[in-house]
Amino acid sequence: MEGKIIVVTSGKGGVGKTTATACIGAAMAMQGKKVVVIDMDIGLRNLDVVMGLENRIVFNIVDVARGRCKINQAAIKDRRIDNLFLIPASQSDNKDSLSPDDIIRLSKGLRSRFDFIFMDCPAGIERGFENAVAAADEALVVCTPEVSSVRDADRIIGLLYAKSITPKLIVNRIVPEMVARGDMLSHEDVVEVLSIDLIGLVKMDDRVVVATNTGMPLVLQKDSEAGNAFHRIAQRLNGQPNLPIVNPNDAKGFWRSLGRKLRRKN
Amino acid sequence: MFNDFFGKFFGRQGSKETAKKRLKFALVYDKLEISDDLLNDLQRDVVEVISKYFEIDTAAMKLDIKRSDDLSALVLNTPILSAKRR
Repeated sequence: MEGKIIVVTSGKGGVGKTTATACIGAAMAMQGKKVVVIDMDIGLRNLDVVMGLENRIVFNIVDVARGRCKINQAAIKDRRIDNLFLIPASQSDNKDSLSPDDIIRLSKGLRSRFDFIFMDCPAGIERGFENAVAAADEALVVCTPEVSSVRDADRIIGLLYAKSITPKLIVNRIVPEMVARGDMLSHEDVVEVLSIDLIGLVKMDDRVVVATNTGMPLVLQKDSEAGNAFHRIAQRLNGQPNLPIVNPNDAKGFWRSLGRKLRRKN
Repeated sequence: MFNDFFGKFFGRQGSKETAKKRLKFALVYDKLEISDDLLNDLQRDVVEVISKYFEIDTAAMKLDIKRSDDLSALVLNTPILSAKRR
């Protein structure tokens, strides 16, 4: 069977695209699929450090496109998670070193070798974005509950529609306490403004920073709420589209804060 | 906690309502912006259609978007040299 190419994008930088790509890719591999994550941010690579594979880079995606190596040579195998591979970006070239045609040409070989191919799209709407979406079958749009991020997500969604791709939305870095006191857009607000389907809600989680510091995959930490949210997103992409979306603002927080209050009184 | 409670009690709105209003306005406004490319393409097509019925001075023709606070309009201005006989 042919593999599926999924682009992870956002428009705005710094909203968690790279973390989302690393986590969803790793979670998907843990579910037994053969996965490659590809860093499309040529010149500003980071997916390698987020995944803790920066010491093992030999070839990169530009090398593959130029025919300097085969896909298998450029794909670094993760030693902690079976079936997970990374093709890093080149750090010395720029976005114009690749063209959408290059990616379309490569996509055939990628589809035949992997079940899922995740493209980590750079910020912006220029060549880097065009390259990352060129061969995509599906798209995930990551946004945080902030005005600037939602506005850029709206722009990206429009551009994806123009390419006949209907994206799904991940709302990242939700702070339930702020939503509760009315100082942060809720995911309902974001969905209402963007009017697209949700595929996951991810709470703000300190462990993301720790995981990035150490290069240890977040999805290997069983008690990370963000990690578990990414696991469920991978499940939804992997044949369980109707797996219920857990609302991070729900009951759990309420009981926890009630518990906290009671403890404080005693 | 105390502040939250009284805030809610006295109908204080969180900043998210402001965020949502500003966001919705920005998105509407963004979509009213028209690129030069699109305007040039439109002008080319409009010239083609009008030329079927009139001789026009294509060099003097002007196509513009006029914007005011509550509406935006497409304004086409072209000298007609003659009507075409059919």
